[in-house]
Amino acid sequence: MASIHLQNIEKKYGAFVGVQNMSLEIADEEFLVLLGPSGCGKTTTMRMIAGLEVPTDGQIVIGGEVVTDIDARDRDVAMVFQGYALYPNMSIYENIRFPLRMRGIPASEHDARIRRAADMVELGAYLDRKPGALSGGQRQRAALARAVVRQPQVFLMDEPLSNLDAKLRQSMRVQIKHMQRQLRVTTVYVTHDQIEAMTLADRIVIMNKGAIQQVGSPDEIYSDPANTFVAGFIGSPPMNLIDGVAQDGHFVAPGVSVACPAHVRGKVTLGVRPEDCSVGGESAQGMVYGVEPTGDVTYLTVLAGTKKIEVKAARAYRSDIDVPVGITFNPAHLYFFDDQGQRIRGAA
Amino acid sequence: MATTRKTRGESLLLRYLVLGGWALVCLLPILWFLSVGFRPRTEVITPKPIYWPTFSLDAWHLLMSDWPIALYLRNSVIAVAGSVIIDLVLAIPAAFALARYDFRGREDIGFYILSTRMMAPAIVAVPIFFLFKTLGLLDSVWALMLIYAAINLSLVTWIIRSYMLDIPKELEDAARTDGAGDLTILREIIVPACLPGIITAAVIAAIFAINEFLFTLLIASTSDAYTMSVALANFTGGSDGIIYNAIALVSFIAFVPILILVILIQKHLSRGLTMGAVKG
Repeated sequence: MASIHLQNIEKKYGAFVGVQNMSLEIADEEFLVLLGPSGCGKTTTMRMIAGLEVPTDGQIVIGGEVVTDIDARDRDVAMVFQGYALYPNMSIYENIRFPLRMRGIPASEHDARIRRAADMVELGAYLDRKPGALSGGQRQRAALARAVVRQPQVFLMDEPLSNLDAKLRQSMRVQIKHMQRQLRVTTVYVTHDQIEAMTLADRIVIMNKGAIQQVGSPDEIYSDPANTFVAGFIGSPPMNLIDGVAQDGHFVAPGVSVACPAHVRGKVTLGVRPEDCSVGGESAQGMVYGVEPTGDVTYLTVLAGTKKIEVKAARAYRSDIDVPVGITFNPAHLYFFDDQGQRIRGAA
Repeated sequence: MATTRKTRGESLLLRYLVLGGWALVCLLPILWFLSVGFRPRTEVITPKPIYWPTFSLDAWHLLMSDWPIALYLRNSVIAVAGSVIIDLVLAIPAAFALARYDFRGREDIGFYILSTRMMAPAIVAVPIFFLFKTLGLLDSVWALMLIYAAINLSLVTWIIRSYMLDIPKELEDAARTDGAGDLTILREIIVPACLPGIITAAVIAAIFAINEFLFTLLIASTSDAYTMSVALANFTGGSDGIIYNAIALVSFIAFVPILILVILIQKHLSRGLTMGAVKG
C-alpha cells in the first residue's frame, strides 16, 4: 500500500515533449485513471511510474521512497499490459508464479498464493494451459492474476481491456473494480475510453499533448469541465460545442440564440450536453439531420446553421430528415469557454 | 460450362502429379548415386545402357576396409557441433543486445557483423592459414571448429536478432516489472520465445559448416582433421583409378547427416523460416 507523488516530471524524446512538467499526488488505495487520446503522454507517465522509462526531469516518490533512479525490477509495482504480455512458453501456473520466483518469495508459499490469485479471477481450472490455448478475456484475467499474486504496493494497468470485445469489457471492468476494492491497492489505470474512466475511477486525470487538462472525480469532470478539450472528451455523445459571439448578456451563433451571463463577452464557445437539450423551443433552430433510436433513448442530430447539435430526445421521438425543428437548452447547464478554450467562470 | 469444369478428384490427381514430378526432380541425384553406389564397378563404367542393374556391395566393402570413414565422420561431427555451440553461445547475447539495447553505433556494429559474411572467403584464406600456423593449430579439428564458428557467427547472430525483434517488447517490460534482470529475461523469456529461430539458425549454420570446403582444405592436411567434405573431394578410389561406385556411396553417406538434421527439425524449420515474415 502506498501513495505516489509525481513532482514536476518531464519526458522528452529529443525535441519532442512526451510529458511536460507534470505534478500529481495519488493517494493510498486510490483508483486513479489517466484518460486522454493516443499520444497524450498517459502511457509514458505510467511507464515512468513503473520504471520502464526514466524521466528527463523531476522526481517520482512511491510509498515515501524516491524511486526515480530505481530500476523497474526493484520497484514494488505490478503492471498489466494491453497485449496481456503472458510468457508464451510457460503455463498459466508458471506465468502467475514468475513474479513470486523473481521476488524471492519462499517456494512453500507459491502454490497457495497462485491458486488464490487464480480463483480471484476465476481461472482455477485453466492453470495447466498455455496462454495460446486461452481466449482473450481469459488471457487478460491471467495477466491480472499475475499482477495481484505478489501483493504489490501499486497496480499499473495500461489499457488492459482495449483488446477485448464490448461485452467482455463491461464484465472485466466490474471485476477489476471489485478486485481493487477488495485488495485496497493503489491503482493507476490508463485508458482512452471515457466510459472506462468514468466507471472505474475515484479520480480522473485528463491529459492532452503531454499536459494535465483537469484532475477531478468523475462527477466533477463531467459536470464542471475546465476547458473545451475536457468538455468534448467526456460524455457520449460528447458535449455540443458551438462557436459564437456573446454581447450584452446574449450569445448568438448561426441558428442559436440564448441568454448568457453579462460577463461573458466577445468570441466564446457555448457548451451544452445532449441531455440538457430538449425538442421544441427557441434556443436553437435547425433542420433534422438524423434520428438514431437506441432502444432506451433516441438521439437526434439537428443541423443549425453549419453546426450539428446532438440532442437526447424521448425514446419514442421519430422524425423525417430535413424537417424544421426547434431546441431548448437547459439554462442551468450551459457552459461558456473563452477563445482559448478555457472555461469562463463566475462574474468578471 | 459444367462439362469443362474439373471434378474434385481430377484436380487432386493433377496436383499430386505435379508435386510428384517435382519431388522426383529433387530426389533424382540422390536416387542416382544410390543406384550407382550399389552396382558393381564394371557396370558403372560401361558405355552401354543398363536396364536391369545388378545389386552389389562391392563399393561398400571397399570403403569399409580401405577408408577411415568413421574418423572423417567423427571429425565432421566434432567440428560442426562444436562450431554451432560456439556460435549460439556468442550469438544469442549479441543478438539480444543488437535487438534490444539502445547504444551508440548499434546499427554500425550490426552491419559490421553482417559484412564479415560479404567478403569472398578466398581473400582471407592466406592470412588465416598463417594465423593458424603460428598458433600451431594446423591440421586439427579444433581449428576447423573455430573457423566454422567464425564463418557462421554473423549469419547466426543476424537470424536470431530478427527473431528477437519480433518478440513483443511488452513481454520484456512485464518480466522487468515482475522483478527479472536482463540475464533472467534472456534465459527465461527471450530464448524460449525465439527457440524456433535459434533452431533454424543452428541448422543453417550446421549445414554450412558440414559443406565448408575451402578452409577445411587449407587447414586439414592429413586424415587427422579431414572432414567428410574434404575427404569426399580427395577420394578417388586410391591406386586403382577412379572408382565411381565408391564415390557415389561416399557422397550418399556425407549427405545422410544433413538429411537427418533436416528431418528432425523440419517442423521448426518451416515455421521458423516464415515466422519472421508474418506475425503469428
